[in-house]
Amino acid sequence: MAEQGIWSGTISFSLVAIPVQLVRAIEPGRVSFRMLHSKDYSPLQRRMFCPEEEKIIPSEEIIRGYEIAPNKHILVTEEELESVSPERSRTIEISEFIDLNEVDPIYFGHPYYLVPSKGGEKAYRLLVEVMNRTNKAGIAKFVLDEREYFVTLKSAKGVLELITLHYYDEIIPDKDILPKEKEIDVDDKNRIKKHIKKMMADFDSEKYADRRRKKIMAILKKKLKEKKLVEAPATEEEEGETEDLVALLKKSMRPTRKKSSKGTKKKK
Amino acid sequence: MGKPGAGKAIWKGFINFADVNLPVKLHTSVREQHIQFHLLHKRDRARLQQQMICAYEKKPVPSEEQSKGYEAEEGKYIIISPDELEQTSPESNRIIEVHEFVKTGDIDPIFMERAYYIEPEDNPKGYNALAEALKEMDVAGICTWSMRKRNYLGALEARENIIHLNTLRYADEVVQEKSFEFKKVALSEKELKIGIDLINQLAAPFEPEKFENEHQKKLQNLIDKKARGEKIIIFRPRRLKPTAQDKLLRTLEASLKKVA
Repeated sequence: MAEQGIWSGTISFSLVAIPVQLVRAIEPGRVSFRMLHSKDYSPLQRRMFCPEEEKIIPSEEIIRGYEIAPNKHILVTEEELESVSPERSRTIEISEFIDLNEVDPIYFGHPYYLVPSKGGEKAYRLLVEVMNRTNKAGIAKFVLDEREYFVTLKSAKGVLELITLHYYDEIIPDKDILPKEKEIDVDDKNRIKKHIKKMMADFDSEKYADRRRKKIMAILKKKLKEKKLVEAPATEEEEGETEDLVALLKKSMRPTRKKSSKGTKKKK
Repeated sequence: MGKPGAGKAIWKGFINFADVNLPVKLHTSVREQHIQFHLLHKRDRARLQQQMICAYEKKPVPSEEQSKGYEAEEGKYIIISPDELEQTSPESNRIIEVHEFVKTGDIDPIFMERAYYIEPEDNPKGYNALAEALKEMDVAGICTWSMRKRNYLGALEARENIIHLNTLRYADEVVQEKSFEFKKVALSEKELKIGIDLINQLAAPFEPEKFENEHQKKLQNLIDKKARGEKIIIFRPRRLKPTAQDKLLRTLEASLKKVA
């Protein structure tokens, strides 16, 4: 599977530099839909559209604007964006190594994989191997587009995972949640512990299939049997070429919180 | 800047397993904040809209003319209507059902999607008992529930004295590590040994408060400068020279010397 990188740059720790590519770790899942035009069943593509000219705009004609007043923008170019933190826009510098068990899962944001670019395989493997043996994960910051990400790098089965972390400031204090009542019902606790012991298992993510997905699959199978298929008209392929890269990157780096029904979820 | 509190509950339900039935409330735990840009057309500065374009007509398609299709064969689709989808959405019985417990470290963070704080609805003693049991045994309760027409998979964990509910991604949404194949280059024991020493030298406790989003301030600075009409000096991003394979050992040794 030749995943296309979202970002390319270098991981560094101390004096070692490893060229890498950042790739997606999340995909739409087994049942994914495409958005179609009801009239002709042609697939729909997400594009940036200029309402003034009523035209699809290619990525080279797009610029970022910061709104200072309604419809008044300060324009910011790619070069200017990269100039904000030039030391971080192409380098993931691991400043320290931590024990991942110390990290409250509340901090975890969005996961990616890092794969070695040509010539980086050996140093990459070294980092994976030593993090695995020491059971440590790297901590770093790096910049992608207009955002700086606080991230952790960990090794998993020979591959480096990069997981974005929330900044400390973004964590809502939990002081209002804590029950005022401090007392613990000890009998209750011991009874619960007994139940837990009986219910212990190994974590196996495959086990929990989405029930809803199963229901959708059942409907699809029924329709397939009834031969309820529609066909899209032939078009000249311009696959991905004009797909707005900026939007694509933004989409990919934003935590895909809403895996809603709306997106054009492409099948691989 | 003081942090605002946890605010209103977003959902109410019951944690349920064996003879435990605990009424609880869910609270958001993270509030992201960052500078937002609009995407504009360079030529006329019009604010761009994301539109769904018909590949055949090359025209934007309004939402009422959009359907969802499952690609059964190449270019052939099964159309599924909103009504049919609606039928499949779960009915919420307000129960967070715990199916089993696992060691907390067993769940790879790649599965973790977002975390909620759980507040007791009443029965704080029962809540404290569950929190304490989870903490003492260092386990997470794997659970399912439905909320807002979606089925969720999650892990109940205690942090300090508060129970968190972390939603988990389904396995088929996560790209498997084994889908990557790259050249396996042999490493010498010496390289590994020095690598391990180096990591141990750079080991530190996790202190998230140390890591500020400095970039955000710099970005605000840039915008302010531009608003005042000042000229922006362009810096090229730093690109490091990759460590060559045959220099890895020497680089590791030099690194260790530097940090030791």
